[in-house]
Amino acid sequence: MMFLWDWLTAALSYLGLYHKKGKLVFLGLDNAGKTSLLNRLKFGTMATPHPTGQPHCEELQIADMTFRTHDLGGHKQARRVWREYLPAVDAVVFILDVSDPGRFREAQKELQGLLKDELTSGVPLLILGNKIDDPRAAGEFQLRTAFGLHGLTTGKETASLPEGRRAMELFMCSVKEKQGYGKAFRWLAQHF
Amino acid sequence: MANYQQTYQDYIQQNEDRDGIRLSWNVWPSSRLEATRMVVPLGCLFTPMKERPDLPPIQYDPVLCGRATCRAVLNPYCQVDFRAKLWACNFCYQRNPFPPQYAAISEQHQPAELIPQFSTIEYTLQRVPAMPLIYLIVLDTCMDDEDLQALKESLQMSLSLLPPNALIGLITFGKMIQVHELGCEGCSKSYVFRGTKDLTAKQIQEMLGIGKLSPQGGQQGRGGPQGPQQPGQPQTSMNRFLQPVHKCDMSLTDLLGELQRDPWPVAQGKRPLRSTGVALSIAVGLLECTYPNTGARIMLFMGGPPTQGPGMVVDNDLKNPIRSHHDLEKDNVKYMKKACKHFEALATRAATNGHVLDIYACALDQTGLHEMKYCCNYTGGHLVMGDSFNTSLFKQTFQRVFSKDRKGEFQMSFGGVIEVKTSRELKVQGALGPCVSMNTKSACVSENEIGRGGTCQWKMCGFDPTSTLAFFFEVVNQHNAPIPQGGRGCVQFITQYQHSSGQKRVRVTTVARNWADAATNIQHIAAGFDQECAAVLMARLAVHRSDTDEGPDVLRWLDRSLIRLCQKFGEYSKDDPNSFRFSENFSLYPQFMFHMRRSQFLQVFNNSPDESAYYRYQLNRQDLTNCLIMIQPLLYAYSFQGPPEPVLLDSSSILPDRILLMDTFFQVLIYHGETITAWKSAGYDTSDDHENFRQLLQAPVTDAEDMLARRFPLPRYIVTESGGSQARFLLTKVNPSQTHNNMYQWGPDGGAPVLTDDVSLQIFMDHLKKLAVSSSS
Repeated sequence: MMFLWDWLTAALSYLGLYHKKGKLVFLGLDNAGKTSLLNRLKFGTMATPHPTGQPHCEELQIADMTFRTHDLGGHKQARRVWREYLPAVDAVVFILDVSDPGRFREAQKELQGLLKDELTSGVPLLILGNKIDDPRAAGEFQLRTAFGLHGLTTGKETASLPEGRRAMELFMCSVKEKQGYGKAFRWLAQHF
Repeated sequence: MANYQQTYQDYIQQNEDRDGIRLSWNVWPSSRLEATRMVVPLGCLFTPMKERPDLPPIQYDPVLCGRATCRAVLNPYCQVDFRAKLWACNFCYQRNPFPPQYAAISEQHQPAELIPQFSTIEYTLQRVPAMPLIYLIVLDTCMDDEDLQALKESLQMSLSLLPPNALIGLITFGKMIQVHELGCEGCSKSYVFRGTKDLTAKQIQEMLGIGKLSPQGGQQGRGGPQGPQQPGQPQTSMNRFLQPVHKCDMSLTDLLGELQRDPWPVAQGKRPLRSTGVALSIAVGLLECTYPNTGARIMLFMGGPPTQGPGMVVDNDLKNPIRSHHDLEKDNVKYMKKACKHFEALATRAATNGHVLDIYACALDQTGLHEMKYCCNYTGGHLVMGDSFNTSLFKQTFQRVFSKDRKGEFQMSFGGVIEVKTSRELKVQGALGPCVSMNTKSACVSENEIGRGGTCQWKMCGFDPTSTLAFFFEVVNQHNAPIPQGGRGCVQFITQYQHSSGQKRVRVTTVARNWADAATNIQHIAAGFDQECAAVLMARLAVHRSDTDEGPDVLRWLDRSLIRLCQKFGEYSKDDPNSFRFSENFSLYPQFMFHMRRSQFLQVFNNSPDESAYYRYQLNRQDLTNCLIMIQPLLYAYSFQGPPEPVLLDSSSILPDRILLMDTFFQVLIYHGETITAWKSAGYDTSDDHENFRQLLQAPVTDAEDMLARRFPLPRYIVTESGGSQARFLLTKVNPSQTHNNMYQWGPDGGAPVLTDDVSLQIFMDHLKKLAVSSSS
């Protein structure tokens, strides 16, 4: 599989010319798909990674941007270090597993905590509803209701927002089927 | 042929049981040229302290060969002339007279060291006085109260596990470093140091006002609290900072109980200032000037990364996250090189003094193990990584450090020096494992180094019954100088060490193997291949390479070696992949390599540098069985279809009506299949009618408890079910035969598809066969 690796590094360094830089954190409950998404964006392939232990970091090229992406563990104890990564972050990506309604409450609590946190009060927040390929997946409207997002999000098209308004939007996606997240990151890049 | 194989397996097993050794090749190619063509190097995994409760206690000194350049120990492979009372050294062929006390020997009356079953034997030296063990605690106080409280309790508990005559000391640190005086009742006194400036041993000695313990056991220099000591009684000479446990356990218990979190304020968005580098330096210096070459453990407990002074890994601003593999690849890490240098120098000093450095790091984020790993790798110290000190993983692991064997003695050995002697046709290339080179030249030393080479002696400051070193050997016999038919080559390991009882002991292991001419007898050489040993040796070499080489280069090297091994020892017709056959004792090797190249030892994605350092540390230290489990985890299935059985580490093994038990060394995991989970949700496990279901649920739990009870460090114990978040520990390890890409070929009952584009073992094997039989490669 080495040829694939060589090809990818070549492609990335080609894209890597003259990009803006930014720092991202991937947050969400365990098994939401944070590391899988990172793997998909970095290597282009699907993988089932082991549950993330200590935070780790990768560099990514998305839209016109170079992102330093911090992938943090999602299990309960690991969430204690989330705040340590929030200073100086340029955007937050919060990933939800839409196929697991049993954990929506738990996820909502974490999202609420994040929304209240002053360390990131001004930075764009991208919420990704992952695993829409799963037959048990909740729909976008259902999700907005469950997470109380009606009226909070700022729209998928608007590039410019009123002064002081935090950019925030929900996008539905499937890391497995390669759907949805491309558009979401282009949206995020606009609000940098 | 099958019978022949069986015999070899038994032979390998017997040798491992007796000598604690496994060799990649059990018949050796008799020329340098042929040996270089074997692909897998001639090497061994040697466990010097393998538990041998059956060994006779030998209370005399070993008999050495009289040739000054040899000094090999008398062993069962030596030829003995009982009439003339002479023995011929099997390494240098010198004829030696037996010492006078052997005058009574005869063919019927032989000393233990000549009896074939004692090719491994242990001598207890009587002349050397026993020394007490020394434990120096170095404790980080920058952690939250819950962690600190749990740690304090663990340390207080450990005092009761130490022998009463052991010496103990305490250093605490945060922004400042405190060296505590022990044994002064009522008031606690300590010396305070700044964490920003490193100190030499001499400076520490002067500032603390302690004297030097000379090799004769007397004290020199000024300020020795006890005055000069009598020679030959080193155990009575001590200072205020290292006191016998029986004298200070009460006051130390109180002192630990009163310890508070580091009082220096930490501002919002900052990390606490932690002077780990200097604290450890003071610990090393304190022991260096008081107890050089005496068994001692420095036990460092830390709750975060060093953030100031020499050895700092990251600054105290949370805006700057600690380095990642991505930063390492870009060679863009501000503090790393200096920190590595600091800890490597400390580790070298401790190793020179014969002292062990243990690190217990418990935190949710990285703590700098990538930079500090040298401490444990060089001195044979323990490295334990956990989320919190308030977990059973830490508590039980720490308790097991002090576990005892059947004779009631600690399973820790100190100050080991391992010397290797080889037959003339062989030279030793180097070692990989928790040791340092002592740079001792001899005729046995090869110029071509592998790992830590250029020496025939290595130091292992701390080791236990599983600590295992890999040694590599070079055949130096020239092609035109044939070895006589039936000739044997020998290797001798002489391990001198301080037993936990304080006694000085020497364990001697001598092994001999047949030579064969690879040109005419390649099948004999092939039949002696030990694929398990070979897999672990290659895994250690790969991990060693990844210290300096890029990840993809290491994988390429591993792949190329595998292809060449297939070409050399497989049976096939050119360009016909379907004709490829591997004999039984090679057949598992490609599978080991498949799992190795997917493992966390070589893949760094989704791992931090600290995690990689930790996993590699364990692979470099554990015995063959444990290393194999790390490379290819064990999987057992429990169902109503029959008794529990080992099953393939394959997605096809994940069936709805099964419970699986997986052991990866680092984790022990129980996985309930979909149907099992449904039965549990339906409450069958609590209903009176389903006793057999309860038993089925209990069986893997009992087996898991058994695994947990035996392992050091304690593995993570996980119970999960089909679709569970933690099930990913299992899904990343199984061979992905079924994936979301091909699941329709398998139908509904074929196992659990893994969501991955990773290559399966089947595809890997197809490619391997194609490349092996290709006439162009």
